[in-house]
Amino acid sequence: MKTNDLIELLARQAPAEPPGQAGRRLGAALALGGSISLGVVVLWLHCQPLLVAGAQPWFWMKAAFTALLTAVGVAMVRRLATPGAAARIAPWLGVAVIVAMGSLGISQLLSTPSALRMTVWLGQSWKVCALLILLLALPIYVALVFAVRTLAPTRLRLSGAAAGFSAGAFAATLYGLHCPEQAAAFVMTWYSLGIAASAAMGALTGPRLLRW
Amino acid sequence: MADNAAARKYDAEARMRRLMVEGLDGDSRAYRDLLSELSRCLRGYFARRLGASSADVEDLVQETLLAVHLKRASYDRSLPFTPWAYAMARYKLVDHFRRNSRRVHIPLEDAGILLAVETSEEGAVRADVHRLLDRLAVRQRNVMEEVKILGFTVEEAAQKRGVTAVSVRVMLHRSLRLLSRAVRNEDQ
Repeated sequence: MKTNDLIELLARQAPAEPPGQAGRRLGAALALGGSISLGVVVLWLHCQPLLVAGAQPWFWMKAAFTALLTAVGVAMVRRLATPGAAARIAPWLGVAVIVAMGSLGISQLLSTPSALRMTVWLGQSWKVCALLILLLALPIYVALVFAVRTLAPTRLRLSGAAAGFSAGAFAATLYGLHCPEQAAAFVMTWYSLGIAASAAMGALTGPRLLRW
Repeated sequence: MADNAAARKYDAEARMRRLMVEGLDGDSRAYRDLLSELSRCLRGYFARRLGASSADVEDLVQETLLAVHLKRASYDRSLPFTPWAYAMARYKLVDHFRRNSRRVHIPLEDAGILLAVETSEEGAVRADVHRLLDRLAVRQRNVMEEVKILGFTVEEAAQKRGVTAVSVRVMLHRSLRLLSRAVRNEDQ
């Protein structure tokens, strides 16, 4: 086909495209994948009694940590799916959130009697926490992959990692509804491990899944 | 001269960005103008990297135009147009080399390279070179372009055709002798 004919053809099939499509598609993916994961939390894992837990600072500490990381991750995904846009602030914001959480965790541990430190750090659920977060991240990651594929990622491994990170962080937010743990050091370690595992899954599969 | 080129790039960016936004708002004429102008930029970009005679240049132009079309929702109106289009073109070029299983490194350049226009001097020299190369057989010509103009090594050119490095060297040697004879004849 001649290039000019192609241009004619494309110009005839170009309906108006409202602005903000990228954000809308990513938002829809988060909503869709998130509602599946939320269903798993509510029906299978069961929530904390929200009226009681919702009055506790540790409940909101976990929610804020994971929600901020989700926002950072989605901002990075959005940048990476828009060619030519550089991600400048978001990664540093993520680092700041993690450093803040780490400092909080360490200061809590230091003020704990040393005999109890391991108990506080490992809690009751350290063996399953990261694994469950990774599991809950799966539906969100799949939905995000579909959304990102309709956009234009050019750095596939990085885009995959960012999508996995976002999925992991959002899954951790939902997991917080179930999780009974209260220590910042626990959240810092085991939540972060689950989110990192999800990001690694994204980095491994991104180049294959996101190609266009 | 440099200021002129910079101003031209700036104009091209402003114009294409306006056309893109109008196209996204549903103006198909603006969108057609954008694709036409972009196709010229892309042709130059790919030709400088693959050699002007390569049949793949037009394929890549079309593939990139199609990608621009399919991915136009990913364009963020608050950002410049050229880097977005350049990232698409570079992605398609990398993909092209990957499909042909040649490992090459494509440097990440300033996106303005997409709008680069040859100076008239460069154009004249290029025209001369191509006129001369036209005297060669297709095989010889391709090898010459790859090794002497695009800067691939003899081994790479040989590997690409599945022949030995020695035969590529022989081909180059003969081509050069033929060309220098042609230049001598023209100068007389």
